[in-house]
Amino acid sequence: MIDTKILDLAVQDLRNVLRDGLVATDIWDRTAGLSLAGYNQQPVAVALFTRITAELESSLADSNFPPLARFYLLDMEGNHTVAVVNHGTLLQGMLVDNKRANLGILISVAIPRMIEAVARAKPR
Amino acid sequence: MTDRSVSWTDADSVARLLARATAPKRAPKPPFGPSSAAAARPMPAPAPARGSVPPPPSVRPPARSKSLPPKPVPRLEHTSDNPSDRLDALLAWTLDNQRCTGAFVADDNGLTLAAHGISEAHVSLVGPLLSALVGVRSIPGIDATAGALWLGSNMMSWVEARTERGGFCLGAVGLEPLSTRAFEQLKEALETTVRGL
Repeated sequence: MIDTKILDLAVQDLRNVLRDGLVATDIWDRTAGLSLAGYNQQPVAVALFTRITAELESSLADSNFPPLARFYLLDMEGNHTVAVVNHGTLLQGMLVDNKRANLGILISVAIPRMIEAVARAKPR
Repeated sequence: MTDRSVSWTDADSVARLLARATAPKRAPKPPFGPSSAAAARPMPAPAPARGSVPPPPSVRPPARSKSLPPKPVPRLEHTSDNPSDRLDALLAWTLDNQRCTGAFVADDNGLTLAAHGISEAHVSLVGPLLSALVGVRSIPGIDATAGALWLGSNMMSWVEARTERGGFCLGAVGLEPLSTRAFEQLKEALETTVRGL
């Protein structure tokens, strides 16, 4: 069982770190497509990034590329960045306003903190 | 024959221009609050009254004396657990207490976490710089976690601290490289800051 209270605390911590730079985030189970925690949650994005991530992972495997590690980023129109974080059985999407949030803080502080927090929420 | 206009030689205008030209200049405001150096500087003399030719400034700027002992640098104290607040506090402390015009914090890939007075393009050179130093550190007895690099018109001094989440670099840009004591202070401040990130 995933401890959703830890996930909620992790989302709160992410909001504190990125402040108004965080537009939305979801943490979901990649097989069920069920969002377990989030802020300004986006069910359509959950479905979309589940599919994109599965395609990306299978394409990397088919091409004999190294597998996806911690995350991938998408630079979107309108000063937005999407970070999809690979937590193993869970995925997380973050929509970030890159005029308000610093990419260095996202990659070097926010994502590592999130990965540690989600790992604590998983059953041992 | 008509008189030529000589309005530009109006005595009041000339006196005002002279007053502006000879009035002591204010020290530039530091980017993060008043620094102790600026606070110790004497206040500029009041501007002369309109219409009078001002006397030369009576307050001489304090001479830079190398014989004076360096002012004590306060330890960096963090009042917040928020990473952005901690990084901002580190930058403010650096700019207030070290001889630099710009400062930054970057990760070991050269991604800027916080910066003031330096472009992200300059900060990004930290990435290849720290990568190059990995090989240097393989030499026994070489620490190579601090240094200075001539940028062409300025000197960038940096220190590095490593955590479980990777390396972080604090850099200061100024006309001269920092002293050994300043490097120690920067390193301690950086380690204090990144411990909580």
